[in-house]
Amino acid sequence: MNLQAEISKMLNHEVMKGVTLLDLFIFVAILVVAVIIAKIVRLNIRRALKEKVPKTTLVAIEKIAYYTIIIIGFVIAIPYIGFSLSGLLVAGGIAGIVIGLATQTVVSNLISGLFLMAEKPIQIGDGVSIGDVGGVVKDIRVLSTTIRTWDGIYVRLPNEKVFTSNIYNYNAHAARRFEYKVGIAYKSDADKAIEVIKNLLEEHPLILKEPAPQIFVEELADSSVELTIKIWAPSSEWYGVKTEMLWKIKVALEKAGIEIPFPQLVIWKGEKT
Amino acid sequence: MFGKYGLNDEIKENGVEIRIKGKGKVKRYYRKAGDEEIEKIVSAESGNLYVVPVEPVNLPKLGVAEHLLIEFEKPYIIEPSIQDTFYLKFPIEVGVFLVDRKDVERIDIFTMAKQKYILYGSPEQGIICRWWKSEIYHDEPEVKKLHEGIMRVDVKNSYREWVEVKKMVFRAFDMKIFYNSHAYMHAYVNILKKTMAETSFNSRKPKNMEASIDIYEAKGIKKLEKKFVMEWGL
Repeated sequence: MNLQAEISKMLNHEVMKGVTLLDLFIFVAILVVAVIIAKIVRLNIRRALKEKVPKTTLVAIEKIAYYTIIIIGFVIAIPYIGFSLSGLLVAGGIAGIVIGLATQTVVSNLISGLFLMAEKPIQIGDGVSIGDVGGVVKDIRVLSTTIRTWDGIYVRLPNEKVFTSNIYNYNAHAARRFEYKVGIAYKSDADKAIEVIKNLLEEHPLILKEPAPQIFVEELADSSVELTIKIWAPSSEWYGVKTEMLWKIKVALEKAGIEIPFPQLVIWKGEKT
Repeated sequence: MFGKYGLNDEIKENGVEIRIKGKGKVKRYYRKAGDEEIEKIVSAESGNLYVVPVEPVNLPKLGVAEHLLIEFEKPYIIEPSIQDTFYLKFPIEVGVFLVDRKDVERIDIFTMAKQKYILYGSPEQGIICRWWKSEIYHDEPEVKKLHEGIMRVDVKNSYREWVEVKKMVFRAFDMKIFYNSHAYMHAYVNILKKTMAETSFNSRKPKNMEASIDIYEAKGIKKLEKKFVMEWGL
């Protein structure tokens, strides 16, 4: 009986003006429950929609659901620590101005993040170059964008930098072009070489039928006849195709008896007079 | 080749070999198609193997394309406000599924048909499509059953002018494939303008045919949209 009274007394002890220890526990408990519910909802959204919606949309839905539940939990919990919602909004407004002035960089990143989300120059999973950083976009958050560079390094870029930099997005369009330059010997038949390369490219499923590959003599160079090969491939696959085809072109040309020459220099030796 | 098989059946047809062998639960799945061979270990006691034609957009890599573009050997010109029916050939991919009362699992996809992709529209706005070239037939054509299927096309010119059509684009998501000894689809094409048409599919099962396993529905994706609009030329 004594213990119960002690606990009751302790819980009713005011830690702040008008806020008991019990109120504080309830406040924390509501927030913890809200976070747990938010995590469960986020997990279930991920499981339910993983294969059904694009990754960027899925992440956006997850974030909206997660933060909405936490905000609802916060709004429910806040009266227990003696704040009314209307008072909080007024205080929040004033505090917002003060904090905003004091943290201009953060605000700038926040605004840039919102513009990035609205304008969508990049999406999660895109291959990009932003300023001097190149890689795959892993996440676009409110304050920063994270990128896994081509060599696997985690880079966090403040959204302000992303927003004000030149962005090259390699996946924004459905298809992209790449090119090779191949030199063949002067004695070789360029028409035959073009035919051999054309047939080889036709066999590859991911080299697009349209826009069709272009193969032509670009230059009569010092040691070789320079062929230029321009190939269109799906943006998501171009790099794999590019790394695969050059060697195959070399092998196909050699098989067809077309020589790929080394640099040559003909020296004429003058006679003594 | 297409149909339902037991777990110990062996299938051999036109250069394709499929079998699951092994005693007890652990079995070995083996498939050979042309020069390509694969093996997988399957742990199963009951269930069936289904070998069926599936939407031709899964190979060589899933996610590259979600549409099929059929280019005509010769352009097709249609009078204003009339309807016509013709047949095309389309490429097929063959799906191998393990099916029991609770679930459908795709274990393999292969194709004997030529694989090639094409851009429909501009690089900025267009889409990557699986490419195929076909004659226009007025009767159901003979097909190489493991390479291609028959597509019936009911075309309607809703535009007030003559329209020339060189290609048709279909969304794999909308496709409804049926089979008996060969694969079959029934498409509708409604020409809206000189450069625009909408394509869709009939989902009603024809007589003496079976409905194929729908890859999207097997993944638990519900199909809502039913039409694709060709907006970058016909």
